[in-house]
Amino acid sequence: MLRVLGTIFMSLAAVVVALPIVIVCSAALNGGRTMFFPPQDSTLARFGEFFISEPVWTRALTNSVIVAIGAATLSVLLAWPIAYRLWKTGSRASALLATLGSIPFAVPPIVFGVGLGFFWSFMGGLGTITAGIISHAVLFLALPLVTISIGLQAIDRAYLDAAATMGATETVTFRTIVLPQTLPYTISGFFFALVLSFNEFIVMFFVSASAFATVTLQIFNSLRNGYTPTMAVAAVAFIAVSIAVFSAVARWGDLPRLMGADQSRS
Amino acid sequence: MSVADDLAYGAEKAAVAIAAPKAAVVGRVSLAVHVVLWAAVLAFCLVPLLLVLIISFGHKVEGAGWEWALTLENYKRFFVGANWPAESTSLYLGQLYWSMRYAVSAALLAIVTALPFTYLMTRQSRRAQAVWLVFLLATVSLSEVFSVMGWDIILSNNSGLPMLFAASGLTDWLKETGWFDVLRDWGLANPRNVKFKPSEVATVLTLSYLVWPYAVILLYPALSRLDPSLAEAARTMGAGPWTVARTVILPSVRLPLIGTTLLLFVFLLGAYVAITVFADPSQHTTAVSVYEHVRGSTLNAPFGAAQSVILLVTATAFLLLGQWLTRKAARPS
Amino acid sequence: MCALALKDIRKTYGDARAVDDVSINFPQGELTALLGPSGCGKTTLLRMIAGLEVPTAGTINLGGRDITRLPAHRRKFGMVFQSFALFPHLTVRENVGYALTIAGTPKAEVVARANKLLDLVQLKGFGDRQIGQLSGGQRQRVAIARALAQEPEVFLLDEPMSALDAKLREEMQVELRLLQQRLGITTIVVTHDQREAMTMADRIVVMAKGRVEQAGSPQEIYQWPATGFVAGFIGRANFMDGLAENGKIRVGDVALALPKPANFVNGASVQLACRPEAIRLDAAESVNRVQGTITFVRDLGPVRDLHLDTPIGKLVAEQGADQGRNHRLGDTVYLTLPPEALRIYPRVPAELQTGMDAK
Repeated sequence: MLRVLGTIFMSLAAVVVALPIVIVCSAALNGGRTMFFPPQDSTLARFGEFFISEPVWTRALTNSVIVAIGAATLSVLLAWPIAYRLWKTGSRASALLATLGSIPFAVPPIVFGVGLGFFWSFMGGLGTITAGIISHAVLFLALPLVTISIGLQAIDRAYLDAAATMGATETVTFRTIVLPQTLPYTISGFFFALVLSFNEFIVMFFVSASAFATVTLQIFNSLRNGYTPTMAVAAVAFIAVSIAVFSAVARWGDLPRLMGADQSRS
Repeated sequence: MSVADDLAYGAEKAAVAIAAPKAAVVGRVSLAVHVVLWAAVLAFCLVPLLLVLIISFGHKVEGAGWEWALTLENYKRFFVGANWPAESTSLYLGQLYWSMRYAVSAALLAIVTALPFTYLMTRQSRRAQAVWLVFLLATVSLSEVFSVMGWDIILSNNSGLPMLFAASGLTDWLKETGWFDVLRDWGLANPRNVKFKPSEVATVLTLSYLVWPYAVILLYPALSRLDPSLAEAARTMGAGPWTVARTVILPSVRLPLIGTTLLLFVFLLGAYVAITVFADPSQHTTAVSVYEHVRGSTLNAPFGAAQSVILLVTATAFLLLGQWLTRKAARPS
Repeated sequence: MCALALKDIRKTYGDARAVDDVSINFPQGELTALLGPSGCGKTTLLRMIAGLEVPTAGTINLGGRDITRLPAHRRKFGMVFQSFALFPHLTVRENVGYALTIAGTPKAEVVARANKLLDLVQLKGFGDRQIGQLSGGQRQRVAIARALAQEPEVFLLDEPMSALDAKLREEMQVELRLLQQRLGITTIVVTHDQREAMTMADRIVVMAKGRVEQAGSPQEIYQWPATGFVAGFIGRANFMDGLAENGKIRVGDVALALPKPANFVNGASVQLACRPEAIRLDAAESVNRVQGTITFVRDLGPVRDLHLDTPIGKLVAEQGADQGRNHRLGDTVYLTLPPEALRIYPRVPAELQTGMDAK
């Protein structure tokens, strides 16, 4: 009886979580310029508009991809030495550095966005894609920092000792043991940052200063004018990317462990 | 010691001599990396927040933007209004009140529903858990604009649920039974039909939807580490499922529960899109006001910065309160 | 010839002395077992020999040169770890060839050497397997082959059998000993299992609380334990507390004779030890003969333990299964403790005895 209740509860939760997404996605099939649910005059024309013919959307999509890939790469490159130092030395200074690096992710994005807006207007980068990439890299630095740290902690210290007794210096050990063993975690961190950067728009709103727009920012900017089915196409594309990325992480990385599940049980 | 050994030892020494300058180079590179890291983290993570703080003491120049200053006028405006003591306004304090009210109710709603869900999820196979996690991560990372769009379609007055209510005769039934008046009292109906936009209920529901997957993800580690034999032991001693939940499971996840609620709360303080779409303008929040002042119609960056600082201070205060609560809860009574 | 010599090695962590002024010589080509309860400092000592830890004081000498400060990667002593520490992201062959690969040996040569070593540990054809596909015993062989690949001057093993089940453990002990004798490599094995040490070692160094209690051949250590701790740790022993009295030792009301008069002043508090198999039942001799009641019989197949209540305390006597008549629970027997089987030690305070294996 209780088990049945549990199953019903979980299914209900799944339906409620999925419902708005399903509705948005199906709205992408609308033939007209207005959002209807259920969609009217079903067509795939809006997909063509979003991906190919409408310059506003194709430019925004290009910007989204550039910012997301750039920011994810940069945040991984920044997170690696911080996480490695923390793991290697465990010193207070490196712990402080890691904490400072996680602050942007912890404060309300609107506050950090306002701050970055001021920052870039002083630095002269306001409205450039580079500023957007760096801002997102900093904002999501905490993610690769956490996944890489989890990966480093998973390395048995005996591996390092074993490598040393076989003649490996710290550099060689890093290259032959540490790097290969933490690769899945590095990739996970990269993808977490990538997907979140893809979807973020508040910080981007302040940093872009309307000089450029990413897809979500473009939607945000045109919210006042109401939704169009082309925006729903963006939703379809984004949810597809998210599911693909996280499925890949689950397939090649240990997702339950990354999310903090107990390693010993399966 | 043989001659060969001696030679080998000599070679060893030579190797040490060669290795020494190399080690020095490595040391210098490592130092450079260290300096660059600190500079980058301080510049990009800390300086923007410091700028917000400094500019919150700045002065707005009519028509020109703002200038550096050390004035408390922005804070005065927030708490008692710009023209105090001649007249006072609690407009901005009211916005902060709504920020907290939405955040508290949405966080509680999310946590109350996420807790049983997460518990049930962790009892499933590792594979099923991974599928759930992919689903949850995909929805949690999905931009706020999309989920709000979805709920907007569902709740909007000329399509979605109100249409469904009217078409299915549910509206008439509500009118007959008198529930319609109750809904009107709650602000969920206009004279002709039910309406969800704008309403506090819709706002809280959507906000709660936004953070719900976060709640699951944050509760997941604690619940998945919960030893199932604890519950089993309680069962063998005659505890029913509800007693087990109350006496075994809840107490052992008490700390992560407090922590998660607080994180959701802090996260919700900054919510923007859902509020502008679903909340009545008279019930807008500080975050909306920050946006309006920094980039919106009423350009006043110093005042926007001051509101950001107040938002941040509120968040920090609640986190500290949570830490205090956690410490109190952790202490055996 | 002495391959490796430790002199006054000490390692302190804060106030705790993990290893306390240890000096040991490891003869060339011999297998030495460092034996002791957990927390006795044996693993720390081994890690200092490997170069993974730096001693707080003392020197380590290899073939006449001081290597105390030489880091592990320049000593290149092959080491087998308790967990085996096989790299999970590499195949069996890549693991075995690791030391050669990072030293820049040509790939073909690495493969050839790795294959030869895998033959040596009877894992021919396992080269392309993943580590996760191997059983515990196979993993251990890979770990041994990997440590030997660099032809180390000293071969170190840290609790190499502890991850194996009991039956496999005994087989691998014999196998490892045969391999070591064939290669004639100076080997140091850390273990807490006295059977393992006795099976494999030329020499056993018994350690307790960071100090060397006794060093010697397995038989020496078993027959002539230097301290009460060694007597209790290696094999089994009946311990009796007594007082020295006119060259004899008085335990309770009984004065036990020794092979030659004891060198203790009258009234000195001493401890007596006697191996269970040395106690004889219903023997003709009248020296050191006491009466006892059987309180428990433990039949182990080849031998039978009799637990006895005697005037000199509770004793355990080990009898061959076919030895004498069938003793039953409750029987009263006469037992003899031959003077030459008695070992005598100055009294060690009880807390030192029981604190031995506390970490």
